[in-house]
Amino acid sequence: MAEPLLILDRVEKAYTRGLINKQVTFRVRADLTFGQSAIVGMMGPNGAGKTTLFEMMTGSNVPTAGRVLCSGKDIHQVKYRERDRLAIHYHQSYQVRHFRRRKPSFMLESAGSDYPLVHLFDEPQFNTQDGYIGFMLDFFRKLRSENRLVFICLHPTAKYHLDILKEVCERFVFVAGGEAKEAPSLDALKEDTRFRSYLGDVMAVA
Amino acid sequence: MALFEAQGLHMRFGDRVVLEDISLDFPEGRLSGIMGPNGAGKTTCFNVLTGRYKPTRGRVVFDGEDITGLPPRTIARKGVSRSFQLMNLFNDFTAEENVLVALPAMRQRGFDLIGDAMGDRDLRERAEAVLERVGLAGKGPELAKNLSYGDRRALEIGVALAAEPRVLFLDEPTSGLGTDAIARLGHLIRKLKGEITIVAIEHDMEFLFGLADSIAVIHWGQVIRRGTPAELRANPWVQNSNLGRLK
Repeated sequence: MAEPLLILDRVEKAYTRGLINKQVTFRVRADLTFGQSAIVGMMGPNGAGKTTLFEMMTGSNVPTAGRVLCSGKDIHQVKYRERDRLAIHYHQSYQVRHFRRRKPSFMLESAGSDYPLVHLFDEPQFNTQDGYIGFMLDFFRKLRSENRLVFICLHPTAKYHLDILKEVCERFVFVAGGEAKEAPSLDALKEDTRFRSYLGDVMAVA
Repeated sequence: MALFEAQGLHMRFGDRVVLEDISLDFPEGRLSGIMGPNGAGKTTCFNVLTGRYKPTRGRVVFDGEDITGLPPRTIARKGVSRSFQLMNLFNDFTAEENVLVALPAMRQRGFDLIGDAMGDRDLRERAEAVLERVGLAGKGPELAKNLSYGDRRALEIGVALAAEPRVLFLDEPTSGLGTDAIARLGHLIRKLKGEITIVAIEHDMEFLFGLADSIAVIHWGQVIRRGTPAELRANPWVQNSNLGRLK
């Protein structure tokens, strides 16, 4: 049987302050499995750790604990330049962070894939004025039909953002309070008081 | 068979993937459009197609010949001309002189002989014919810097045409132009269509939808959608955008 496309195996990132008396200043955890191709909507307040999760999923940011498995391969054990053949992060242009590399590339393994299996879209610019949204949504669907896993990280600031997520996504992940949790549907998420307060005014019209 | 083709182009800047598996084909005599939002990778793609950047992987094929990685001037000599988003003209030369220096016959003589060339009736007639072709008849004696922005854009296309290319690449031809100038440029490009193979990168969807035979939409360094203007326009999100409302 084919390996699941993506497993976040008790992945955790913690940032600490202080050398002796360490205090955790930030923490995000995820324990999720995505067996097959899907389009996943990811939401969560600023600073909750969405981008950090994406960075761990693409192998640039090393988790404090746990593993990220892409089609059975631990992405953090794959050659640096080949990691985007497993999972690729389409950044917001102003938010590319660089991390120190600890192991030389020759000690790492090959990706064994030519085109990314997991595609992470970090706050894509959806503008209803120019019509590009339609082509972007078609592209997400095309990737899914080619057995890829697609994540759309979005901050819903208008009702049409929720409409977009509802139109294309079949799974939803909400990142808040240091944890990434899956919800069975957008409607189920709306029952969560934290999600309702995160949406704020958008919730009123949704 | 397409006159010009991109086959599986990949491009990286350091660790960053800027083009991912781009395959395009531009049939002879057609106007092919490339469009996409800002920062989508359109200009990088253009620069790879015209030889300014060498792709990390993939091939660029012109008339059956692999031209990947050849210097831009070699590609230009084979019959590929391009215009730029920011105009490249000799501002202190007249419109006619700008065209003259781009004529293949002039290049064979050497650029330092422009004074002689001005006395060569055959060359001057050819330059005048190019100016007429781009709607600048009678403006030959004017300095390039004194021309309006729309005329400068037309002159830039004239300079590209003077090299007698088989393929003309236009990089964001409407950039910086007002509504009137865009309409004039549209008229000019429509006139050239069919005479020459044209590839236009454009941010302005409306402009391209009115001119192109087929369009590739580029975003995130990839071709995310291809089709005729009618096929792309049928998308419900396009219908509901400003473009859909224009009809």
